[in-house]
Amino acid sequence: MPRLPLENIRILDFGWIYAVPHATAWLGALGADVIRVESTLAPDLVRFLTGTDGVPGFNRSGIYHSINFSRRGVALNLTNPKAQEIARRLVARSDVVTENFTVGNLPKYGLGYDDLRKIRPDLIMLSGTPLGQDGPFAKTVGFGPTTQAFAGLCHLTGYPDGFPCGIGGTWPDFAVGTAMVFFLLAALHYRDRTGQGQYIDLSMAEMVTTMIPEAMLDFFMNGRDPGPIGNRDDAMAPHGVYPASGDDKWVAIAIATDAEFGALCDALGAPSMASDRAFARLTDRLRNVAMLDAEVAARTRNFTREDLVARLRARGIAAGPVYNTEDLMHDEAFLNSGMLVKLKHGEVGERDVPTLPVRFSAIEPRFSGAPMIGEHTGEVLSELLGMKSQEIERLKEEKALL
Amino acid sequence: MARFPDYKEPPEALSGLSVVELPSLDPMPFLAAAMAAKSMADFGAEVIKVEPPIIGARERQLGPFRDEMPDPETGGLHLYLNTNKLGVTLDLEDSRAREVLMRMLAGADIVLNPLAPALSARLGLDFAALAARFPKLIIVSVTFFGTDSPYRDNRGGDLVATHMSGVGFETPWHQVTDPKNQPPLKLAGRQADYLTGYTAAAAAMCALFDRKNSGRGQHVDVSQWLAMVSMLRPNIGVYSHESREAPIFERTRARLKRGAQWVYPSTDGWVSFNAGTDRFWRGWKNVMGKPDWMDAEMFGSPLARAGHIDAIEAAIVDWLSTETRQSAFEKAQAEHVPCFPVHTCSEVAANPQYAARGFFADHDHPTAREVRMPGAPCRMSATPWRLKRGAPRLGEHNRAIMIDRLHIAPGEFDALKAARVI
Repeated sequence: MPRLPLENIRILDFGWIYAVPHATAWLGALGADVIRVESTLAPDLVRFLTGTDGVPGFNRSGIYHSINFSRRGVALNLTNPKAQEIARRLVARSDVVTENFTVGNLPKYGLGYDDLRKIRPDLIMLSGTPLGQDGPFAKTVGFGPTTQAFAGLCHLTGYPDGFPCGIGGTWPDFAVGTAMVFFLLAALHYRDRTGQGQYIDLSMAEMVTTMIPEAMLDFFMNGRDPGPIGNRDDAMAPHGVYPASGDDKWVAIAIATDAEFGALCDALGAPSMASDRAFARLTDRLRNVAMLDAEVAARTRNFTREDLVARLRARGIAAGPVYNTEDLMHDEAFLNSGMLVKLKHGEVGERDVPTLPVRFSAIEPRFSGAPMIGEHTGEVLSELLGMKSQEIERLKEEKALL
Repeated sequence: MARFPDYKEPPEALSGLSVVELPSLDPMPFLAAAMAAKSMADFGAEVIKVEPPIIGARERQLGPFRDEMPDPETGGLHLYLNTNKLGVTLDLEDSRAREVLMRMLAGADIVLNPLAPALSARLGLDFAALAARFPKLIIVSVTFFGTDSPYRDNRGGDLVATHMSGVGFETPWHQVTDPKNQPPLKLAGRQADYLTGYTAAAAAMCALFDRKNSGRGQHVDVSQWLAMVSMLRPNIGVYSHESREAPIFERTRARLKRGAQWVYPSTDGWVSFNAGTDRFWRGWKNVMGKPDWMDAEMFGSPLARAGHIDAIEAAIVDWLSTETRQSAFEKAQAEHVPCFPVHTCSEVAANPQYAARGFFADHDHPTAREVRMPGAPCRMSATPWRLKRGAPRLGEHNRAIMIDRLHIAPGEFDALKAARVI
């Protein structure tokens, strides 16, 4: 087996829910030894969200398994001082610590950055929180969907002139998690060159606001406070989701140029629409966009989703079917993309898990199924801390390992 | 700027790393590579942004423009996406320009290539061609569907990736009441582009770490579609673990799955609120003064509450009918219930939390006057995010890069310029 790029890196992961575990899944797949710290007293909320084959249970959450691959699981009851001491000893053997507790929680256990850098001076630690480590509202609790509201994204997402809508997939959790991979590797690259660690304070809200530059700059440059525009675009028309025949079947179409609009009209069997003076040029189409959308929608209904997408793609138009999860799981290109991998889990057996969305020509990422709570407690404590099995049993009886 | 004599520039995480960003050349705005390169430039990498001569990169035409006056040098998106970069112009359709590019790539660690796969191949800029010449180069393809997908020759982009991934079908996050008139919804702005940018930046760093071991570069194949699909891990996990009938995919029933987490009206705007889990339900009960009805068995568990979502949401709306966004935010947070005001951009800009952390960055740009923009995506204590240099003017660094660094003869440079190749 070729060496994986992060084989000499160990990450102690106190993160939970979505963003941080998604980031450490990338790093674990790239070879890092990711040790996920949990406890049966306070399991990851995600472990309760769903069960396998309709049977609930800590170790049966399909959602948990789809995020927490490529890592080992250790059960530490962090409210117990002996467990806190074990955590500190594990930090001494780790390169990176990741966490997303509410501000102030880890320092309470003697596990804040200022405590840990004394143990491990070149430590890299990342804290992800809704609003960052300082400032008047730092101690808030929140999830991605609530944080996007604070950050301005929610207000901008919605039907034209309509109310604000939250975004699917608990956005921005996984987007922030992906960015965390970049920030952590940048910090590790710096440490490689200088021997210096550092602290990364990530405010999820700030991260979201860095991803709405068009609207923020419109405010800063022109004083305008933009609202939602649905599926439309300021620079393209038509640009939207149009109905196909059947129940709740839709096609996404984005037209950037006049020539593409001509091709669209041809595909819809309405070539005369291309020369209609209300629509001929992009500026016309943007000005008359409501009428344009209605005209396009009236024609897309005549086609099935698959037929229309095929006609549009054949003409070089940017178009695609609007998928729900079921549709996606039947798309041959997705199923053969290599992203979906069968992984073994201790309790539920082999299941399809969505892994990394990228392909490397010279790295074969390492995927292993998500751990059960505390699955590797004994293994990790004996391997890294040299603890004997009697000692581990005693700590279990004292409820430090739980 | 006056500086103390002992002032030292803070160190940068990626200093010494050399990155070349190519343009996409698709009429569809595709800003993923520009975002990937920005994230690297803002943490210290030297990024050379290659733009087509005369028209420049696509984002230069997109605005927002001050006072609605289009100007390729002062568009907000250009100023934001191209911070800390060097800019050169090359007409990649011309073989002489491509030779200049090859000399640039000889000194680069990473190239970000958003050209469509077929176009890359035609121009000799695909992985096979570049790897043969530059075995240490990390070649990052950033395309709509990936270079080896059956969809590789289809056009996509932000809208298509959003909706082909299933994220659009999940938006709005709550249920829709009128599915015929409420189609699946795109995320505001260009979220799929920017997410793909971060995906490419993360993956490029993975390849850089691999090169530290192997000494070799490689191909990193980033698909915008799959980057968006990876946002839907939970749905895929549910699908592969539950019986196929169990998941709720109808948009009109989504809120049964999500529980009481949505955007509700208050007296002065909207509030994003979550009382879904037992813990948050208990917290909200405290906010409400522990009324008896909340102890009823029908509200005793998340599953039980899902069955009575109408009653619960009516209670949330009733509570908020006498609360402002700020009072609801403060009361709920005091009981550790996730609750945030829905902010408009002007409110984000004026928010005391962002101000206290110095989030927004001001930059005095030579052609665009002072510009305020979103700043650090995270705070790195040893290697802070920094706005050192504003976005380059079109071709601003042609001379510095091509003559001073690549040693192209001044006569040859002038000839390329006259031919509009640069």
